[in-house]
Amino acid sequence: MVKLAAKCIMAGDATVGKSSLAQMFRSDGAHFQKNYTLTTGVDLLVKQLTVPDTNDSVELFIFDSAGKELFSEMLDKLWEHPNLLCLVFDVTNEQSFTNCAKWLEKVRVQLQGSTLPGVLVGNKTDLAGRRVVETSRAQEWAGTHGLEYFETSVKEMENFEAPFRCLAKLFHQLYRERLELFHSLV
Amino acid sequence: MRVVDLCLASEGTEVILATSSDEKYPPENMIDGNSTTFWTTTGMFPQEFIICFHKHVKIERLFLQCYFAVPALRQGAPPGQGTPHRRPKGGQEVRGIRIEKSNAKEPVDFERWVERDLVLTEGQMQMEEFMFRDGYATHLRFIIKSAFDHFVSVHKVNIEGISVSSLT
Repeated sequence: MVKLAAKCIMAGDATVGKSSLAQMFRSDGAHFQKNYTLTTGVDLLVKQLTVPDTNDSVELFIFDSAGKELFSEMLDKLWEHPNLLCLVFDVTNEQSFTNCAKWLEKVRVQLQGSTLPGVLVGNKTDLAGRRVVETSRAQEWAGTHGLEYFETSVKEMENFEAPFRCLAKLFHQLYRERLELFHSLV
Repeated sequence: MRVVDLCLASEGTEVILATSSDEKYPPENMIDGNSTTFWTTTGMFPQEFIICFHKHVKIERLFLQCYFAVPALRQGAPPGQGTPHRRPKGGQEVRGIRIEKSNAKEPVDFERWVERDLVLTEGQMQMEEFMFRDGYATHLRFIIKSAFDHFVSVHKVNIEGISVSSLT
């Protein structure tokens, strides 16, 4: 039995729903922010998940950081040594989707070559009539960048746990792979 | 006086703190004299462990057998050639290990002793060697500030030196 600890950074444009998603997940669906508050620095949310079919668990330290360009300098420090990435965009906002490439680049700078398991989340699927980013397009982009794709409606409380469950699973897998490597060294 | 391996559980040495623990890879694996067993870190950095000798010792040489590298970086590197150590752009070097020591009876009053950047090795165990002149200690604290990967393993801590006196 092991408890892993992972620093998970939330990235994506302002107002796509990063804080809503993180808080909804943290509170098991009890907390939906009705009013928008701009995240200025970083909020830290901690939640433990068990990994299915094991006795192991992953404690996620979710760094919910500001999406506004204005605070972008600060992120370099706050994002040091990430273990997982949760990249969020708004399916009704084309710009927020195209900016994902920029966010990914910003994260990759922190890595210096090590791998970063991550997910791409298309949020606000409840606004079906205003949707501009189709599932297939997002799915394809996620695939080419090694991210798993999820769609959520935090407002309708739909699928908000799945991206985090996936992240925990990916981190656990990585740990298992490294254990094999450590064993093979001898 | 005889130079011995001071860092063995069989000599009474103990790991009294470790920030990570997987039941299957406990910190005791670092001091069992066997480099096939190891301790793993299980997440975010920094990570640390404290070794207590339960006596005053004088350390002359310290070897750390560990693995801090990352497989992803090795891809594309010419075979048989180590990947060069990269420094983060514009940033301060934070990847590495720091060793602190204490001469107190309890694990307190640690002073910075030695600090070293990590060098990437290719898919093989790393052997870090440290030599000391002023090696009096009762406790050692190892701080892994960060590595090139999410997890690291420490297989063996080997400490050559002499027992000086009991704690009393």
